[in-house]
Amino acid sequence: MADDIVDVLIVGAGASGAAVAWSLVETRMRIVCLEQGGWMNPAEYPSTGRDWEMAPAREFRTSPNLRRRAADYPVNDSDSPIAILNFNAVGGSTILYSAHFPRFHPSDFRVRTLDGVADDWPIDYGTLEPYFAENDNNVGVAGLAGDPALPHHEPPMPPVPLGRMGEAMGRGFNKLGWHWWPSDSAIATREHNGRGRCLNLGPCNTGCAQGAKSSADITYWPMALRTGVELRPHCRVREITVNGRDRATGVTYFDQDGVERHQRAEVVIVACNGVGTPRLLLNSTSARFPHGLANRSGLVGKNLMLHPWGHVSGVFDEPLESHFGPQGCCILSQEFYETDARRGFVRGYNLQVTRGSGPAVTARVGVASGAIPWGAGHHEAFERVYDRTVHVGVCCEDLPEEGNRVTLDDEQTDGHGIPAPKITYRVSDNSRRMLAHGLDKAAEALRAAGAEDVRASAAPVRQAGWHLLGTARMGTNPERSVVNEWGRSHDVRNLFVVDGSVFVTSGGVNPTTTIQAVALYIADSMKKRLANLFD
Amino acid sequence: MTNERIATDSPLNPTQRGIFDVLLGMMVPASADGHKPSAAEVDVLGYIAEREADSLPTLREELDALAARAQAQTGRAFLDLTAAEQQRVVADARAAAPDFLRGLALHTVTSYYQDDRVLEALGMEARPPFPQGYEVPPGDLSLLDPVRQRDPFYRDVPDATRT
Repeated sequence: MADDIVDVLIVGAGASGAAVAWSLVETRMRIVCLEQGGWMNPAEYPSTGRDWEMAPAREFRTSPNLRRRAADYPVNDSDSPIAILNFNAVGGSTILYSAHFPRFHPSDFRVRTLDGVADDWPIDYGTLEPYFAENDNNVGVAGLAGDPALPHHEPPMPPVPLGRMGEAMGRGFNKLGWHWWPSDSAIATREHNGRGRCLNLGPCNTGCAQGAKSSADITYWPMALRTGVELRPHCRVREITVNGRDRATGVTYFDQDGVERHQRAEVVIVACNGVGTPRLLLNSTSARFPHGLANRSGLVGKNLMLHPWGHVSGVFDEPLESHFGPQGCCILSQEFYETDARRGFVRGYNLQVTRGSGPAVTARVGVASGAIPWGAGHHEAFERVYDRTVHVGVCCEDLPEEGNRVTLDDEQTDGHGIPAPKITYRVSDNSRRMLAHGLDKAAEALRAAGAEDVRASAAPVRQAGWHLLGTARMGTNPERSVVNEWGRSHDVRNLFVVDGSVFVTSGGVNPTTTIQAVALYIADSMKKRLANLFD
Repeated sequence: MTNERIATDSPLNPTQRGIFDVLLGMMVPASADGHKPSAAEVDVLGYIAEREADSLPTLREELDALAARAQAQTGRAFLDLTAAEQQRVVADARAAAPDFLRGLALHTVTSYYQDDRVLEALGMEARPPFPQGYEVPPGDLSLLDPVRQRDPFYRDVPDATRT
């Protein structure tokens, strides 16, 4: 079977690959997806055990270089102040994401026109709006209509609970006259498509045992598999093959037994996100594409954007039960999201209020920093911070720069001998100014809410490179972009990219909802053009 | 996590184990109100052996180093010293090497704050989060009224300059 030709071959079963697979089902084409990881078993997620707080330091480490599961590949990120984080499994990084699901703003697609920096997208918010809504319904999004920071939309489920900490922070934002709103969250707050409602387990970032968090393995994949898509886990693609007419012919991959195989395909869709996708394209060299597939523009791997991140913590003088509830989802503030030139930087950032830590991590952090001492003062110091600590994260828009890039490492390879990606990345002056501003404002919000002992993290936080964007950007000009305005390679007309790589700019929010909206839009664009898809 | 483990093959020799227990009590003593036990009453060693076994060689080295330092500083075995003298030896060792016993301290609090008695003293049920979960109050959404009264403030978007 593996040597048969399939109509559509998708590489990667994460957020975008899953959405595209589901969307293309109605074409009745034969669709196969190859995923280097396997299925996760929610019954084994850390929240089912007593040692749940330690999972992020063990088997659920966020860096593939530290986690080193068989499905992982190394990433040489030594030349970047921000480490690359991901997860490799059916569902991809949505297995570990926080499910914080804010949409891009309309301005995010028009930064050149509005602010004179970077480039405009070839599509706009209006183009994606129906796909945002479709995605919200498919995955199950909780939120509250009426947010004045965004065009009107109606999340299908009620918001995640504010809890006492959300109320405290909301009062603080109100005192300052700043915007705040319950975060759109990819979390089922009531039963949704057979999934149970959120139980406020807390550790969303090590997988949701309840199945309330909308990871792609339990949202799109069950729907896609029921309707005939074939998903082959533990299959790692080495390269995309091409013929002499600049058409992809399929992929060469290693199956679950490590046997090298070739899968022929009429259409190849790459969905490996902002590091995995350029890695695959750059590894796919041939006589006609000596510098990597679909790379005649020279832009594959360039313009990497990572969302520099910092956070500020504050301690309240009353118990807030702050570690109960979805860890990364509570409320946000977009008071400083849009450009205001008086601030000394262009573009803006999102303030994300996140919940506190459980008792063991609270104690570990306190002991490691010296804030919680040994001896007689231990209990008093612990009780002063436990359940009373709130964090405010600062997610900065990162503008594209060609010097920030993914290339292939000269030495490191994965378990199949495939060259690993190498990251070269610097935080721009604009981002540094933005981050400093954001940390100040986060501290101001915490103090207004009544917090004391307000402390900012080092910034950018190194272990924060979740959002991998821009390395195969879309555009109408083949010299300035890798794929066209509906995701098709300019150079290889049966090759599509559907993940965060195609982002022209990064916005200032977690990108998954926009990645999935873009993927659904590209799939829809393909369906509308089936008769002349390669013209 | 109850203290039901009984080590039949202890990863520490009797002297190391004695020093280990002293250190646990030094790091996290029982609370003044008596509700929280000392870390010495919690099966920290079982936790380390089960979940952090890679750290055992370093732990043994550090315990031996403390024993040697006590002998060198006082001419007596660590376990024969008064509590104040033991504190002094440990403080001197940590002053000389700030990371000394850091790993043990982290493992100790990790284990301690998973112990049934400790969690119950904190007002928590001694169980994993799943499957019962927790109740979190939805919160007062009327707090959003000032925000609702704002006009939309996202920027208007003119025609694109296409890439």
